[in-house]
Amino acid sequence: MTDQLTTDPTKPAQRMRAGSMVLPLTPWVIAAIALLILPFIFTANSAITIMNQMAITIIFALAYNMLLGQGGMLSFGHAVYAGVGGFACMHIINNDAFFSNLPLPLLPIFGGLFGMGLAMIVGSFSTRKAGTVFAMISLGVGELIAACSVIIVAFFGGEEGISGDRTYGLPFLGVEFLQQIEVYYLIAVWLMVSAALMYLYSRTPLGRMANAVRDNPERAEFLGYSARWVRFYSFVASGFFAGIAGALFAINYEILTEENLNTTQSGIILLVTFLGGVGFFFGPILGAIVFTLVQTVLSLQTELWGFYLGIVFVVTVMFFPGGLAGLIMMHVPAKRLGKLGRLGLPYLKTLGAGALGCLGAAALIEMVFHVRHASVGDHEITVYWTTFDTHGVLPWVLAIGATVIGFGLARATAPGLVAAWNDANTPDGAAR
Amino acid sequence: MTAALQLSGLRKSFGKTEIIRGVDLSIGRGERHAVIGPNGAGKSTLFNLITGRFPQSAGTITLHGEDLAGKAPFEINRMGLSRSFQITNIFPKMTVFENVRCSLLWSMGYRYNFWSMVGRSRALTEGAEQILEQINLTARRDLPAGVLSYAEQRALEIGITIAGGADVIMLDEPTAGMSHSETDYIVDLIRKVTTGKTLVMVEHDMGVVFGLADQISVLVYGEIIATGTPEAVRANPKVQEAYLGAALEDH
Repeated sequence: MTDQLTTDPTKPAQRMRAGSMVLPLTPWVIAAIALLILPFIFTANSAITIMNQMAITIIFALAYNMLLGQGGMLSFGHAVYAGVGGFACMHIINNDAFFSNLPLPLLPIFGGLFGMGLAMIVGSFSTRKAGTVFAMISLGVGELIAACSVIIVAFFGGEEGISGDRTYGLPFLGVEFLQQIEVYYLIAVWLMVSAALMYLYSRTPLGRMANAVRDNPERAEFLGYSARWVRFYSFVASGFFAGIAGALFAINYEILTEENLNTTQSGIILLVTFLGGVGFFFGPILGAIVFTLVQTVLSLQTELWGFYLGIVFVVTVMFFPGGLAGLIMMHVPAKRLGKLGRLGLPYLKTLGAGALGCLGAAALIEMVFHVRHASVGDHEITVYWTTFDTHGVLPWVLAIGATVIGFGLARATAPGLVAAWNDANTPDGAAR
Repeated sequence: MTAALQLSGLRKSFGKTEIIRGVDLSIGRGERHAVIGPNGAGKSTLFNLITGRFPQSAGTITLHGEDLAGKAPFEINRMGLSRSFQITNIFPKMTVFENVRCSLLWSMGYRYNFWSMVGRSRALTEGAEQILEQINLTARRDLPAGVLSYAEQRALEIGITIAGGADVIMLDEPTAGMSHSETDYIVDLIRKVTTGKTLVMVEHDMGVVFGLADQISVLVYGEIIATGTPEAVRANPKVQEAYLGAALEDH
């Protein structure tokens, strides 16, 4: 037995250690630099507002993915932890005696603690089981707390919510956070800190066991771990970071309402996380960036942005369950084989045609919507920077033509893309 | 010396059906004990009772003299009993290495630790590497466990089962669904990794049972009709009548 157990310690173990000791620092450094210089590239106030919202959504989505992706828990009511953290911070902001002694950058810690406290209470009974039971309890608790917003007016402020002024805090290094850009850097620092902590959490024994419990709770129990407690700790940690996101929301917008707690908000964060991809740590980050852009930029262009987002979500769930991150990581094997380049042309053909089809279809949808809902006599619509009359024949012919030709071409070239894909993922000279 | 595992008057009913009908069994330390019996005799139920998956209806189970009544699987595991499953039960999305490392965490005292990095623990990494070496899966360490071949997954499951350092190892049909050469391979593996430990296994393959076990118990309709050395059990007329006759002729 003993000599079986004494393996040569020099070889595989050493190689392994070298690999895992080095934390993948490069992406973090790039992210930090990007956060630092982005406000110099996008200087408009509206851009900074969008970036703030993006960063807050990223933290929230990463926290949500601690449950969904890492722990296998589908929550339909996670907005309440962010919301309660935010409301608590709003009350702290409004408590002059305390707030005037508290530097604003430390406020999110309190948001985190309140989110965590609520998660401890709810988690104590909701994490006994994963799956449907957990999902239903999360939905019920979410509804319950959202309903409390009109019942416990002292805390939630009823329908108008609670607002405050972040600038009454103790100045931090002379900064009073009057400017949007100052808030941006506050949020950016918290984004880096939270993301790093959440990443590191996934590398701890508890984080690893969260994966094990997600994959196979019963087996995990036979390894000495209570699946329930592993879930509970993940849930509490997730509640903490959700609370931080809520606190940053409070700082950024200086108002919290019932909308921060309700099921719509909970649904959005599920959508964001899934869209980005639950299987990889960076998935929710991508999801939050794309979603925020769609929500802010596309919503300026069309009232129907939610409709398009819904389509994208359904397509993601049906065809790309790995989300955006999964789509990107799908290409790693081809890249390793050095054959990624061979996908370029087939992609261009199929996706180009598909894009044409999508544009055509979107134009059709917009035109139908315009014809049905525009005020009487308003025949003018602007789609793709072109203004035309929706009651003429030509636009319809063009839109239908683009849709049919686009999707038709995409369909016709799809087999070629599949063949190219298979080729790119097969080592040269393999038997297949 | 107390027995490693002691069952007395153990009963289990599902509704009105009594599956285990009064089992008394004592398994000594370091013994390799096989439980055999025809289909539906209650072998897997017996396993599930011992490992805390189901509560018993009556009787007691003691592990190293400690009563297991009302203990959850994870508590029983912490007391030094580990099991494998009839249906392969691993963490399919995690890598092979990760599977083994997770099974070492509790026994290495990490408990619900969320402040140290698993990748930085030399003891963890080396421990997992050693187990991988023992089950000959070093070359597969970075693959998701779900893509391994069936025999490799079974080997991994045995690795996970022994990794925590439990001294009572329970294997539920470790060679089920394997070819002859795979079976030989797994039997060698089991012999190697359970040296010095108490082994309890349920097995259908008589070749495996007679090759591996020091003691055999025959379970028929929820009762143990014979316990003894392979030779004694083979010679027992009751056993031959109830179960072994046909199987032995094949061998």
